[in-house]
Amino acid sequence: MSNLHDLLAYEVVGGINGGLFTAEEYVSSILKRIEDVESKLHSFITLDSEGALSAAKIIDRKIREKEDTGELAGVTVGIKDNISTKNIRTTCASKILEDYVPSYDATVIKHLKKNGAIILGKLNLDEFGMGSTTEYSRYPPTRNPWNLDYVPGGSSGGSGAAVAARECTVSLGSDTGGSIRCPASFCSVVGLKPTYGRVSRYGLISYANSLEQIGPICRSVRDLVMMVNIISGKDEMDNTSIPSSPITLNNKLGKLNVAIIKELITGSDHEVTRTIYSASEKLKDIGCTLDEISIKNLNYALPSYYTLASAEASSNLARYDNIRYGFDLPVEEYKWDTYFSKVRENFGEEVKRRILIGSYVLSSGYYSKYYLKARRLRSLLRLELLTLFKKYDLLIGPTMPIPPFKFGEKIDDPIKMYLVDINTVIANLAGIPAISLPVGFSNGLPIGLQIMAAPFEEQKLIDASYDLENSITIQRKTNAI
Amino acid sequence: MISKEELEYLAQISKINLNENESRKFPKQLDKTIEYIDILEELASDDSVILDLQEMKIEELRDDVVRMSDGKQISKNLTEDGFLRGPKMK
Repeated sequence: MSNLHDLLAYEVVGGINGGLFTAEEYVSSILKRIEDVESKLHSFITLDSEGALSAAKIIDRKIREKEDTGELAGVTVGIKDNISTKNIRTTCASKILEDYVPSYDATVIKHLKKNGAIILGKLNLDEFGMGSTTEYSRYPPTRNPWNLDYVPGGSSGGSGAAVAARECTVSLGSDTGGSIRCPASFCSVVGLKPTYGRVSRYGLISYANSLEQIGPICRSVRDLVMMVNIISGKDEMDNTSIPSSPITLNNKLGKLNVAIIKELITGSDHEVTRTIYSASEKLKDIGCTLDEISIKNLNYALPSYYTLASAEASSNLARYDNIRYGFDLPVEEYKWDTYFSKVRENFGEEVKRRILIGSYVLSSGYYSKYYLKARRLRSLLRLELLTLFKKYDLLIGPTMPIPPFKFGEKIDDPIKMYLVDINTVIANLAGIPAISLPVGFSNGLPIGLQIMAAPFEEQKLIDASYDLENSITIQRKTNAI
Repeated sequence: MISKEELEYLAQISKINLNENESRKFPKQLDKTIEYIDILEELASDDSVILDLQEMKIEELRDDVVRMSDGKQISKNLTEDGFLRGPKMK
């Protein structure tokens, strides 16, 4: 048998339930792997080895006593550090929450635990999810497991890197403008942003709550299906959650009509374009039809996204006022306003920039110029996409317009950094599901294909992704670590 | 160009202290961002476009019932006089 830490989630469940190895042996092999590679990668902010081992022992006891262990028995899950975990520190990679220990589990964590998954620890991100590289984390940036000199993508960079490096079986990320799909693409793993409402956001620390969703990052489409079915569902703690049907694997829907979005191709790096065209040929081979289409409102998508995300951030992050969250700062030396401002200087630069832009676009005189127009664009884009989905089952393009880049390349130029999100924000604005699937490499650096579908049509995404995954031969395991 | 005064005003309404480095860097960076989102001006102000993507009906909301939370975690941090004590600012 290969190393235990190399196993996929369904192999782990099968192995533990079939008595090939114990959950404790599996978790120990994962912890050993983390010990071996973590000093190079920096995927984790907090590792809960003790908690993971005791959860494994409980599963082993249940197996001995022939009790139900759940569909994810023994699967180790790394959690993005902006998802609340009871009794495990949840920092959002921010100084302002450096000692925050939630008193409750997010709904997704409850679902995972109930199904036998083992929470391994908390993974690195750009502070509060604002960034595309993890360079905006207050902890050391996560490195790309395919080449340590390159960024892993973000903001769920720890979630992408840890799965690609086999430091955990699967992980959870959150996606506000591409934060699951970007690291999935840059680390050559599969990442899904579900339809807005499929997964409860209760316990996800809000950044831009009308845009974000929690979703899984895995090494195979099969694992992804297991994960998304477990975390989905209506939750009375999140009124935007909606009931949905489970997704199945190998559910042959028949011929799917696919369209490539022209604008996403023309704006991309040459090697990325070549790889995406070659993947789209494979889609034809597996029986899909292929067209090329244009999206009229695409030019406005990214400016609209940054307007809305910053506006929501400026409101959501107002809660860090040192009363509900914060530090033991003596009140005596300060006036009412300066007290708050003093504490809030602990935000990092990018968070401050977005709060300031958010305040700007919401302020008198600019509200109708920016914020209202951004909301109108959002509605128009959604309507345009829904019309396209009447004709096409799937819309495709590169997840990222460029391959992973080196650390420091874009950090001093916010607009350059924002532009890497240009292909992914569409799905968040429209509330539709989107997946990133590994389809190739350029000079040893991963390239992902983005597939989008109509709201709650994740089944179609999975059908195409599963077939494509089986028909594309690419390197699945990194040798860089 | 965002002036020093405008930046100070934005920082004040956002309740954020900016350090010297940020005060120096931010005007140019924020300017570039605002210049980038200025393209939204090209969009027509069409009031017929519905802005809300999801409509929520009152009956879809859960009942407003008071439920006791698990107070154990909170009581762990209570001081003798009944106040919560947070960690020291470093």
